Amino acid sequence: MGAFILRLVVGIVLALIVGPILVVIIASFSSGDSLSFPPPGFSLRWFVEFFSIAEMRNAFLLSIVLAISSACGAAALGLLGAIYVARVRNAFSAVLQMLIMAPLVFPALILGLALLLLYKTVNMSVLPGLFIAHVVVCLPYAFRSVLTSLQSFDTTLEEAGQSLGAGPIRSFLLITMPIIWPGVLSGWLFAFVVSFGELNTALFLTGPGVVTLPIEIFSYLQFQGNQLVVAAASSLQVLIILFVLMLAERLIGARQIVQR
Amino acid sequence: MRSRLSKNSLALAVALPPLVILGLFFVVPLCYLLFVSFMTNSATSLFDLQPTFMNYAEIFSDPFYWLIIRRTLLSTAVVLILCLLLGYPVAFYAARLSPRGRLIMLMVMMVPLMVSNVVRAYGWVAILGRRGVVSSTLTGAGIIERPMQFLYSFEAVTLGLLTILLPFMIVSLTNSLATIDKRYTEAAYSLGAGPWRTFFRVTLPLSSPGIASGLMLVTFLTLSAYVTIALLGGPRYKLLVSLVFDSVTTFRWPRAAALSFILLLIALIIAVVIQLVIRPQRVQGKG
Repeated sequence: MGAFILRLVVGIVLALIVGPILVVIIASFSSGDSLSFPPPGFSLRWFVEFFSIAEMRNAFLLSIVLAISSACGAAALGLLGAIYVARVRNAFSAVLQMLIMAPLVFPALILGLALLLLYKTVNMSVLPGLFIAHVVVCLPYAFRSVLTSLQSFDTTLEEAGQSLGAGPIRSFLLITMPIIWPGVLSGWLFAFVVSFGELNTALFLTGPGVVTLPIEIFSYLQFQGNQLVVAAASSLQVLIILFVLMLAERLIGARQIVQR
Repeated sequence: MRSRLSKNSLALAVALPPLVILGLFFVVPLCYLLFVSFMTNSATSLFDLQPTFMNYAEIFSDPFYWLIIRRTLLSTAVVLILCLLLGYPVAFYAARLSPRGRLIMLMVMMVPLMVSNVVRAYGWVAILGRRGVVSSTLTGAGIIERPMQFLYSFEAVTLGLLTILLPFMIVSLTNSLATIDKRYTEAAYSLGAGPWRTFFRVTLPLSSPGIASGLMLVTFLTLSAYVTIALLGGPRYKLLVSLVFDSVTTFRWPRAAALSFILLLIALIIAVVIQLVIRPQRVQGKG
């Protein structure tokens, strides 16, 4: 009886979490003119419509480019930070770790506002400002991933390399990097996915002609009403994330992804 | 000596780039925001360089803001309690699965967690809206005559926030529950404790670090979930974060800054309360 109730609760919770996303995906393949359930038939017309709207297409492309570049930035900075935190144990190292992890829990909307004020004061243009914001928000994910793999790395291997005459940089590149690269890669993929869905920081930081996909979806929902092209845009978002996660699973295994 | 020196400077060079970026684009902007919150409102520029407490005083003397603060506290409390009550059974179930089963379960949690909140909130609009799943089903079954919507209410916002944040809670709890050493519960059983007593006296206290960290994460995310609140609460149902957004769109920068720090203060107070109630530190060793 107890086991049955437990399973029931698990089922209900999973339905509540996954249900809304499934509804969006089903709605996006509808052949109808507007949202209706059940959909009258299957078609790809809303995806065609999505790519024929210039703003949507541009937002989609910008989000992809921004996700790739900010994931590179976050992975590079995360790698550097993780090397320091894994190797040096002092108060500064603890502060650095806290600082890097802070954007993970810090209210993103307030960070967006603070950055907007700063950008307005120093006359920063929109695109670099948005890029930096994305790097800061994605950094904790990349950092954590690299740090986990560095902490399980056996440093005697590197010491062996150095005793054989390799400098610290050379031994790191030739010995450590090949062993920890799954951590770096999963950090990159995490950062990509987080940047691709980033919403609350970007809310204030987008500008005319520079709008990311989540913000475009949001403003469509607010100002143009409930159109199925939004469902197609959302569906694309979900499909790309699924694709990246599956890629991650293939490349580095599910355990790496879930451990975070 | 020389090699030690170069090693230290190399270490510093490694730490420098992330430190500089976060200093310039995280610490500095937030200090600047705090500074702006104490400046006078200006119609022409961002603010007038005249120190004042008016931004805070105006907020605290206005009953409307108190209403919104009370409402924010209430909805955060409801979301936190429901997240714990619904998330714990799922995590408990996941933690007792085989490692492979748990991996699959966590992967199922990961996908929604990664999908943008705007998409997940839109999912609820598609379910609860006038032409949504619930309305269509009820009209189809003849229970209601005309399509109706179930959006723009406390319940809709709570449901949206709850389902969006549950995966964070579940992942946090599952990781905590999965690391509890089985010998603790076995010891409790062998000493004659039943399953319920074992759960409340052994498993639940040992999972308290996971409970505390999950609840804190949910608190911070609830307080700043502007888009979810805007889409499901509409123009009528607003929380404190909505007022931050509204102040920005009306260019009242000092007001927006002051509201932000009140929001942060509330987050901090809730975090302290969580720490005091759950007391995760009391658990020694693994948990």
